[in-house]
Amino acid sequence: MRRLFHAVLLGLIGAGIVHIVVLMLVPDFSERDAWSRLAMASDLYRMTRLDAEAGGAPVVKSVDPLFYAAACRFDLAEGLVRIKAPGHVPFWSVSVYDRNGHNFYSFNDHTATGGVLDTVVLTPAQMIDVRRELPEELQGAIFVEAPIEEGIFVIRAFVPDDSWKPIVSRFLEQSSCELQEY
Amino acid sequence: MLKTALLTLLSLAIAVGVGGGSVWYALQAQDGVGAIRIGQWTAFPEIGTQGADPYSKARVAREGVLALGKAEGLSFIAERDAAGEPLRRECAYTIEGGFPTARFWTLYAADQSLGVVDTGKPRLAALQSYQVLRQPDNAVTIAVGNRPAPGNWLLTDGFGKMYFVLTFYDTPIASSTGLSDVALPSIVKVGCNA
Repeated sequence: MRRLFHAVLLGLIGAGIVHIVVLMLVPDFSERDAWSRLAMASDLYRMTRLDAEAGGAPVVKSVDPLFYAAACRFDLAEGLVRIKAPGHVPFWSVSVYDRNGHNFYSFNDHTATGGVLDTVVLTPAQMIDVRRELPEELQGAIFVEAPIEEGIFVIRAFVPDDSWKPIVSRFLEQSSCELQEY
Repeated sequence: MLKTALLTLLSLAIAVGVGGGSVWYALQAQDGVGAIRIGQWTAFPEIGTQGADPYSKARVAREGVLALGKAEGLSFIAERDAAGEPLRRECAYTIEGGFPTARFWTLYAADQSLGVVDTGKPRLAALQSYQVLRQPDNAVTIAVGNRPAPGNWLLTDGFGKMYFVLTFYDTPIASSTGLSDVALPSIVKVGCNA
């Protein structure tokens, strides 16, 4: 009887250890995280619609039904990435995520010059290089320094009512996500 | 000898079964570590950031969420009404009260997976602050149900569990210091279709 009690107690202590280990391993081994889902849907540097409106099931659970969203994956080891979207919509906001889907930088249209989305994501080392000689065409861009290599860039745009759907759709479709040489 | 082997097996079974099962259970629960409750509404201001707790990080990885950034907005989820009863799609509710400062907000009725409920009609089960009618004191009253209602009407339909998701965009309350004195509207049940 004492040995049974002993075994159960040992099992419960083990359960605690397993709980912690599994919890820590889930983020590293998940094949259903945002990066993996996007990788299945499209290539690096390709803007992909996240909402179901573009046809088919939503790639990543896009939270708000009154929003359209698009995302692209990038790898800063290859160079800096520039994201642009022409036109004006009632509200847009963008977020930069690392490989694990952790948000580390976000801003919205009130931050941008004239409300136009034009931003460059780069590592601190690339920032030093770019600062030395700022190219003419990057003058108005918002620079996001990111101490990462692989990451995800998401644009979200508000659709107040049905009449805005084509305009907001066009805004996202014309957005670009380009690898820049410097 | 056999007894020792069996006891070892029992220990291992308990360790793996209870350990794995408890992680699964913890990740299923809507409520959790890092949650902030205001009335019936729950928010996870830290979710999807490096500073989040291990449970939120695991949830983010498992469900493939890309959480809203602090400059984007903050989502609140309600799963119970003011009386503590779970929200049901077959019931009618009144959402009433003042809303905290934000550029705008959206409200929608969600199913278990937190997607918008399928009403089977062109009208979406969602409202946003630019289209609502307000009281003289800036408060908003919203009727929720499958029967059209005067004023603000949020259409829901079907049967089963329901959630309300209220998201504030470009709002100062997303920085957690502002969350202490925020008041959110109350959810009162009006009646149910049996």
